[in-house]
Parts: sequence; C-alpha cells; structure tokens
Amino acid sequence: MNLREYLRSIETKRILQINKLKKSYQTAKGNGRESLLVFDDISLDIGEGEFVTVIGPSGCGKTTLLNIIAGLEGYDSGEVIVTGHKVSSSGPDIVMIFQEDALFPWLNVKENVEFGLKQRGARKEERRKTAEQYIEMVGLTPFANAFVHQLSGGMKQRVAIARGLALNPKVLLMDEPFGALDATNREVLQRQIQEIHAQTKKTIIFVTHDVREAVCLGDRVVVFTHAPAQIRRQFVIDLPRPRTSEDPALRGVTNAVLRDLKGEREFAESEPGNIAG
Amino acid sequence: MQKASPETSQDKGTRKKGRVDVTGLIDIVIALAVIVGAWQAFFWLDSRYLWLGPYSKVLFPSPMRTLDTFERLVRTGMLPTAVYTTGYRLVAGFALVMLLGVTVGIGMVRFRRFGKTMASFALGMQSFPSIAWVPFAMLIVGLSDYGVLFVIVMSSAFSVMHSTYSGLRNIPPIYMKAARSMGARRLSLLRGVMIPAATPSLITGMRQAWSFSWHAVIGAEVVMISLGGLGGILYFGEAFNAMDQVLACMITIFVIGFAVDRLIFFRLERRVRSKWGLAS
Repeated sequence: MNLREYLRSIETKRILQINKLKKSYQTAKGNGRESLLVFDDISLDIGEGEFVTVIGPSGCGKTTLLNIIAGLEGYDSGEVIVTGHKVSSSGPDIVMIFQEDALFPWLNVKENVEFGLKQRGARKEERRKTAEQYIEMVGLTPFANAFVHQLSGGMKQRVAIARGLALNPKVLLMDEPFGALDATNREVLQRQIQEIHAQTKKTIIFVTHDVREAVCLGDRVVVFTHAPAQIRRQFVIDLPRPRTSEDPALRGVTNAVLRDLKGEREFAESEPGNIAG
Repeated sequence: MQKASPETSQDKGTRKKGRVDVTGLIDIVIALAVIVGAWQAFFWLDSRYLWLGPYSKVLFPSPMRTLDTFERLVRTGMLPTAVYTTGYRLVAGFALVMLLGVTVGIGMVRFRRFGKTMASFALGMQSFPSIAWVPFAMLIVGLSDYGVLFVIVMSSAFSVMHSTYSGLRNIPPIYMKAARSMGARRLSLLRGVMIPAATPSLITGMRQAWSFSWHAVIGAEVVMISLGGLGGILYFGEAFNAMDQVLACMITIFVIGFAVDRLIFFRLERRVRSKWGLAS
C-alpha cells in the first residue's frame, strides 16, 4: 500500500485531527522577550486503532506535540480535534504515558492503576475489577500489592501502561516510554505493547528517538524535521506483526528513515514499504 | 527483571513490627548504666573529699536521693498534675500549630507572591528563640493558658508552614502531569496527589514542630511560674535550691520528649519512608 492510499483509508475512520497547529514559547532574552517557534503549521490525521510512531531530532517538539494533544499545554493557533471535539483541557479520553517514572510512590500497583478510575468516580468494585484486568494484561498480577519502589524499571512502565489503559482512553500517547530501559527489557515491552495493541485496538501515538523502535512498532512512521518542526516524511510499514526490532524485513525501511533523518535527499524508492509522501 | 519480590519485602515488614530490636535495647541499658554509674561515682567522691564544700548536700544529690524525690513528687500528685497541665497545653498548641501551619502553607503555594515573601519570613522566624516571645505574650495575651498557647504557636507554626510550602513545591512535576492527564482537577489533585506526594516532608516538619512546641511550652512555663506545669516545678526547684527536684523534673521532661518522638513521629516517618522506598 502506498502512502496516499493509506492516508485515504484513514480518512473514513479518523479519530484525531491536527490542523495547522502552531506553537511557540516565550523566552526571556537580554532585556526583551523573544518568541521561540517550536512548530508552525503541523497537520496530521490519525485513524482509529492506528499505531503511529513519531520520530525526529531531539528538541524538535515531539513531546510538545504530545502535551498539546493531551491538553497539558496550550498552543498559539490551529486546532486539535478528537472524535469531533476540540481539545481544550486534559482528560481521560487521551492519556499520556511518560518516559520518566510517573507512578505514585505512596500507592501500590493496584492503587496506581485505580487512580484515574477513582478520579472519574468509579465504584470500588468496578475499580478493583478493571485494575485487575489490566494488571493481568501487562502480566503483573503477582505484583498487584507491591509498592512502586519494589519494581524494576520495565515493570514500572508496564504498570504505567496498565494505568493508562484502565481509563479506556480513545487515544494513548506514549512519550519515549521505553527510552530509559535496558535492551532486554525494551524488547520485551516492544513485543508486549504490540500484543496489547492487537488485543485492545487502541489508537496509539508513540514518540521515540530510536529509529528501529519506530519502524518496529508503527503502522506508520512520521518523521519530523529540526525545530521549527515540520513533517518531513511519512512511512507506511505494512509488515506482519508481531515484529521485533531485529527483524531483517525492517532493515530496509530503517535505513531509509535513518537516511531521511540525516537529511539526505535521495532514498531508495525500491525499499519495501517505503513510499514518499 | 525483577528487583525484589513483594513477598520478601513483606517478610521484612513483619519482622520489623513483630520483634523488638534487642541489641538496641541492650545499648540503651548500657548507656544508662554508664551515666548513672558516673553520677554515683562523682557523688561518692564529692561527699568524701568535699569538692563542693557545704553546698554539696543540696547542689549534688545522689541518684538514689533524686529517685526518692521523684517518688515523692509522684506520690504527692505534684508531678502527675504538672505533666497533665503541660501535656494538654502542648497537645492543644501542637494541634493549632499543625492546622495553622498546613493551611497557611497551602495558601502560600496557591498565592505565589505571598508564598515567596512568607517563606523567607518563616525561615527567619525559625531561628527566633521561642522564649523571646514570652514577655510579648504575657503583655498582649496575658498570664494564662492562652499566653502559653500563643508562645507555642509562634514558635512552631512557621516551621510547619515552611515545610508544607517546600514539600508541596518540590513535588516532581511529572506526578502532576500524570494526574492531570488522568483527569484529576483542583481539589482531587490536592487531595489525591499534592498532599500524599508532600507527606514525607510534612511528617519531617511535624516532627520538628513537635520538638519546637516542647521547647516553647517548658520555656514559657519557667517564666510564667504561676501557671504550674513542668516548667513551674523547675522554677521552684531552683528557687528553693532543690536540685533533686530540678533533676527529677528534667529527667521527666527528657523521657516524655524522647518517648513521644520515638513512639509516634519516628515510627510514622519510618513507615512512610519504607513505603516510598526512601532510605531511613
């Protein structure tokens, strides 16, 4: 499938629309204020159930984009629309999972997963059931009553994923969630997130700086340019799942993305699944 | 992949709770024996060679005599009454300190400019000696329980304010972001995230406030002698050259302060810290 066809197929099941989004930061410089443009005119449509990975040079505004989608940060102009409604503030429709350890150390695993449900006013019994379900999904049932400091980095991120899923969000945002993990753990989690995606059919936007990870996980890889960021190119990865980042079939696309990130103009049109946008 | 299974750490928890720290207890007994032994030895040498001359009898009582006096003070009801009087002032004052300190501390976070000014002021007030408030309290509030309460509040509330404020402000922003992303707002954010996240620092502040209040109440009572309490016993012990009474009262003050800190605040702090996985 080439990119144009792919994007057309998404149009009918669009869940998230970003239209001409502009964002700048005010920074103090000298005795005046200066505005730093993060991105100008970003437009991106995302289909329901799609697993989109976003990659780009560090500092290009990937995290800012996620923050805006999550309603945690404002923006200058443009719009972000989720299922027909403009995003104005953060809420449980769109849940973010962070790179850092964002679990609450004063709660145990189960209470952490229940946190969002409690905010929503869910009953105790319902909270317990939902929490147990998602803790099982990430394979941490024996650790349901453990405290956060007793878990390894990989387990913490799995709890964070369960905590996000428990809210049954429309869109799951993941900001380099495996960035701080060692190679083995990362591989396990890459497999697990694909399983979860297949099982729950959640829409996932996944930011990473690891090209192999982006290619391994995404249905579509969106490559950003340096700040002020623009979408440089998109790749459709039409390969069977579950994939691993070692998969030789991914090597061609990975190299293409790498070349693209390096700013090279030409890339091999012949690579499988690699279509210019 | 896993750092520690929850089972092993639970074992650790029950062990901590169930068994008394025997070596620690032995160390305390040894330390006490050394202190009392030295005291007794000094008393014996003094009474034999008369270093303190004719004042020896009053100024340097033996441990036994001090114990006798302690027993007399308890029997006549003087000491229990004083402990009760000082105790309720302290508890009332401490409750007021916590209420005021935490409320203002939250207000300081909410209103930034006020918070900034108040924080440096509160920090300065922490080194202000509590006893220096006593004349002020006597003149403004009067020679009453309220005067003592006033001294307690002025000496400890600032420290609670400051620890509440800094505890709330030093919450890792990631907790707030995560909670907001999950739909927490204003009050639920305060109750569900900010207060629990600041708890370790709140407990440290509470422990410190307890010790400040304890200093303040004794200090105030030593000056406001007509109000009774442990401070009053100290004062009259001095007035009548009754060192045995002074010592018995000092030991009582030490034991109460130490016991409350160990049995309540230290345990509370340890429990929270082990739950969070902080070194204790």
